[in-house]
Order: sequence, then structure tokens, then C-alpha cells
Amino acid sequence: MTYGTVIEALADPTRRKVFESLRQGPRSVGDIAKEVPVSRPAVSQHLKVLRGAGLVTDQAQGTKRIYRADQKGLSDLRAYLDGYWKDSLSSFAEHANKKGKR
Amino acid sequence: MNETAIAPVRQSVEVSIPLVKAFEIFTSEANDWWPLREHSISGERASEVVFELEASGRVYEIDADGTQHDWGKILQWDPPRRLLLSWYPGHAVSEATEVEIRFTETSQGSTLVELEHRDWEKLGSRATPLRESYDKGWVGVLRLYADRAAL
Repeated sequence: MTYGTVIEALADPTRRKVFESLRQGPRSVGDIAKEVPVSRPAVSQHLKVLRGAGLVTDQAQGTKRIYRADQKGLSDLRAYLDGYWKDSLSSFAEHANKKGKR
Repeated sequence: MNETAIAPVRQSVEVSIPLVKAFEIFTSEANDWWPLREHSISGERASEVVFELEASGRVYEIDADGTQHDWGKILQWDPPRRLLLSWYPGHAVSEATEVEIRFTETSQGSTLVELEHRDWEKLGSRATPLRESYDKGWVGVLRLYADRAAL
């Protein structure tokens, strides 16, 4: 169910902006706060949720903490999409094969 | 932004029934097999899925109150070999991706069903104001996915 966490994490528009700001490359909380219309503590809070969903990772760099986008969360989402059609097709196959035997 | 192609989602399955029957079950009998509870807009309240069997036909679900929720539209109707759908469950038509389902005879009496869900790229090319207006649900998520994958 990790994709659920990813979807929820990205459903919030501000949080999505925080995530999108990392598309340009790794950034500190202060850098992100300059691009997003919320306070630094709020940015930190959003980053925490994004980290929980596997969408960002962080690393200490001197006195700063640097955040970067993480592929893991998006891979989970991709796996969900694959699974969506897999489920539907196996359900179809089960039903069709049953009918074929009649 | 770099508009790199995003790999389509591909799935396939082989069923031990003839081509024509396989196509029929997939479309006119979808209600008998579609996992509605897991894969629908209204979840546990979903009661029916309908494919209108013609070009430009609608694909939609009906919930417990009788309300219809669009899933998509049949773009190309080529029974019994191919079905091309625009796919936008719970979202605006402008958010549509494409789903193609192909049916091929394999050995005697068996049919291979191949599905391709594609066209993710266009979700990544939105202008900012438009993106702002579509900030809900998983299409937003997919758009982000597309953006990210296009890096």
C-alpha cells in the first residue's frame, strides 16, 4: 500500500510544490522556502511527510541538511499502475476460462 | 523540460477461449469480472461497469445511488481484435491517457490479450496555471510521475 502514501503525500498542492522544487536539484530547507509561499517550519513538516512516502531523502552537509528527490516513491506508484492492470486482467482470465469450460 | 518518452504500462494474459468470445467477455460482460471494489471510483459503493459497444461509446461505472462516473470513451472499436480507449476515471477528458487492448488468436481456441496504457507524456507538459487547476487525485500524481520520469 505504499503507493497510497505516495498519492496522499502528493495530493496536497503545497507539498507538491515542495517536491517539485527538488526537480531542479538538491536543496536546503531555506532554499525551498524561498520558492514556496510557506514558512520554513512548514516546509520542514512537508519534507517529513515526503520522506515518509519515499519521495525525498536527506543528507547532512556541514551545518545544513540537503534534500533531494528520491525515485523510490515514484517506483512504488509505477508498481501500483502495473498491478492495477494485472489484477484486472487476471480477474478477466479467471472468468473467461471458467466460461470456456462450460 | 525534457519530454522524454515514458514507458507505457504493459500487461498481457492468455485465456483458453476463442478470439470472438474473449473480446465479448472483455467488453459486453465486463460487469461479471471487473474487480470493481478495488478498481473503481466509488469503491465498495460501485455496483456496475458499462462498456457502450460502439465507436465513441462511453465506459463508466454506476454506484449504489445510480450515479454514473465516467472512466473513458471508446476511441476505436474494432471487434474482435482491438479496442482503443481514452482513459480518465474520475477526471476531466483533458486528463485522458490511452489504453489499447489487443486480442490475438494463439493456438487453437486460445486468445492472447495484451493491454498497453500509454500517453503519460502529455500530462507532463502542462502550463503552470492549468496544472494548478488540476491539482487533485492521482492524475495529479501521475503528472508528477511523468514530470519526474522525464528529468
